[in-house]
Amino acid sequence: MNAYKLQPVAGRCLRGGVALCLALAATEIVDAPARAATVGILDPTTLSTTDGRQIYEQICQGCHMSGGRGAAGAGDYPALAKDPALASRQYVALTILMGRRNMPAFGAKHAKGFISAPLTLNEDQIASVINYVRTHFGNRYTDLITAAEIAALDQGTR
Amino acid sequence: MRETLGTSISRRRLLTMIGLSAGSTAMYQAMHSLGFAAESPFHSPIQLSAAPKGASVLVLGAGIAGLVAAYELRNAGYHVQALEYNGRAGGRNWTLRGGDRYAELGGETQECRFDVGQYLNPGPWRLPHHHHGMLSYCKRLGVALEPFVQVNYNAYVHSHKAFGGKPQRLRIVKADYQGHIAELLAKATQSHSLDADVTAEDQAKLLDSLRFWGALDGNFRYVKGADSNDRRGYARDPGGGLGGQPLFSEPVGLRDLLSSGLWAALALGEIYEFQTTLFQPVGGMDRVGQAFARELEPLIRYNAKVVEIHQDEHRVRATFEDTVAGPGRQTAQADWCVCTIPLSILSQIPMNVGAPMANAIAAVPYYPSIKVGLQFKRRFWEEDEQIYGGVTYTDLPIGEISYPSSGYFSGGKGVLLGAYIWNMLDSMQFTSMTPQERVAKAVEYGSQIHPQYRGAFDNGIAVAWHRAPFAMGCFGIWTGATRAEHYDNLCRFDGRIVLAGEHASYLPAWQEGAVTSALDAIERLHRRALAAGAGK
Repeated sequence: MNAYKLQPVAGRCLRGGVALCLALAATEIVDAPARAATVGILDPTTLSTTDGRQIYEQICQGCHMSGGRGAAGAGDYPALAKDPALASRQYVALTILMGRRNMPAFGAKHAKGFISAPLTLNEDQIASVINYVRTHFGNRYTDLITAAEIAALDQGTR
Repeated sequence: MRETLGTSISRRRLLTMIGLSAGSTAMYQAMHSLGFAAESPFHSPIQLSAAPKGASVLVLGAGIAGLVAAYELRNAGYHVQALEYNGRAGGRNWTLRGGDRYAELGGETQECRFDVGQYLNPGPWRLPHHHHGMLSYCKRLGVALEPFVQVNYNAYVHSHKAFGGKPQRLRIVKADYQGHIAELLAKATQSHSLDADVTAEDQAKLLDSLRFWGALDGNFRYVKGADSNDRRGYARDPGGGLGGQPLFSEPVGLRDLLSSGLWAALALGEIYEFQTTLFQPVGGMDRVGQAFARELEPLIRYNAKVVEIHQDEHRVRATFEDTVAGPGRQTAQADWCVCTIPLSILSQIPMNVGAPMANAIAAVPYYPSIKVGLQFKRRFWEEDEQIYGGVTYTDLPIGEISYPSSGYFSGGKGVLLGAYIWNMLDSMQFTSMTPQERVAKAVEYGSQIHPQYRGAFDNGIAVAWHRAPFAMGCFGIWTGATRAEHYDNLCRFDGRIVLAGEHASYLPAWQEGAVTSALDAIERLHRRALAAGAGK
């Protein structure tokens, strides 16, 4: 047997430019689930909060902007304020789990690391931030999503 | 070695194992499959034969890939037009100087307040000696280069959790770690633990090499004394005259080094791209984009936001808006199209290509890296700490601090790269902040390494790549699986359209990836154009 099954190595790899911490094997490359590991000071970091607002303001806001107002340049970051696409909580959940185009995946099954370990959110965190977004920024959806529902949706993804 | 390994193995250890078990060729292949250790395929300037009469090419994006494509195709006789979203050429090849204004997505505008001669390269900032394509274009276009210092033994490695948060000189950590490892291996050899693997004759050579490599004393010990201090430095350096005798310093213990985690930074300077010598353009990386632009203007149409790309059997048409002149759509068309728009943006632009290319374009998320430039009133890193260029690595969210590779001993102000953030969470958190908050955080964290920050800080500017209107991300993130599924489909022609850029290379984030992908694309384009006659 010559296939070493490995997971991505983590961390603050601190290096500009090239693939460092990807999964690697002699005959195959294993991408998922991406899992962080500690390599000295190149520690991966994970977000500890499960507060939907804090998750939004520390992660999502980078692109979707404060107040969910989105932005437009050479391309767009969709506004989440009064966004009809939010009507389906499952759609939002799958988008966060699997990513979409430029948006990285945050589900452990799909998140891609590169220089650093991928940043993943767990089911509680994903449910929490979805419920926050769907009840703020002018959105008034009453059908909240649960962590169990996120986990079930995630099971169906590949 | 043959069973399934755990999840925390390091890349280097793995590569080493592949090398040991399967040979260096297999190790190189493994490295190559990851897109690192990939030497540039560039060898000499491209020589395209004359273009078919009247043949035309539309180049979308005037970053390095678009500029290379436009330059070479123009030289071969193609009618070339380039559309560029920004009001300047270069794309991520970009430099911020005093007086520059930068508006990021979300509406925040920063004015750079650096002094004359100071600058920040928010994007690419160094050219490895084996990035032959970039170096060749610098030479051909007259872009002056100077050495870029990557590895500085007198810079620091730092963990806020180790040595009381006090930064350690790279020289000391490297010498002591290497010395202890050598001593351990010497002990293992002498106690016959390696007899099964190393012959008696080779053991003698191994011991000799360990003594030399690890700076061991005559008893194969790494201890305070002349041998170790010749690597790690002295408590008092040797000098001349009376009192010139050195005072020896005491090595740090292996246990402290291991628990510090600082060893993780030791191999960074040995990475292929970071090996001496590296270069930088004198005065800022954007000298490259500017040099191309001088050659190509007026072929570049600036402030052109591409909103649709359409091809038929005969030509390619791009619809665009002039972001300065205001609403109203215009078109540009040509026989062929080299599209270098980052996938972060291209994935949103309607374009009639087949599913393979479309799926590839949609499969590549972009990295959220951050750079912060900090101007200080004095060059304390040189004056107080004798750090001349190079990089300090830290486990703080700023990731690293890099010291300028020019202007040494100039006595005036200086600009540090105060943050270069690669950790995903830190990057996203910094992206979510206002520019002012990013600068303030970079100063706050950096002052843990250089307390002089507090008194000497002057001003700063922060670029979060996901908020760059023209890039919407730093570079494309490929994995082994996405490369296997999509990479070739991304690079293949679809009708009359071919893509180029760092995203279409095995040199992610490097300008050399943009250069070599553009050259590959236009060589294929040229063959097609020749086969099609005038392309009509």
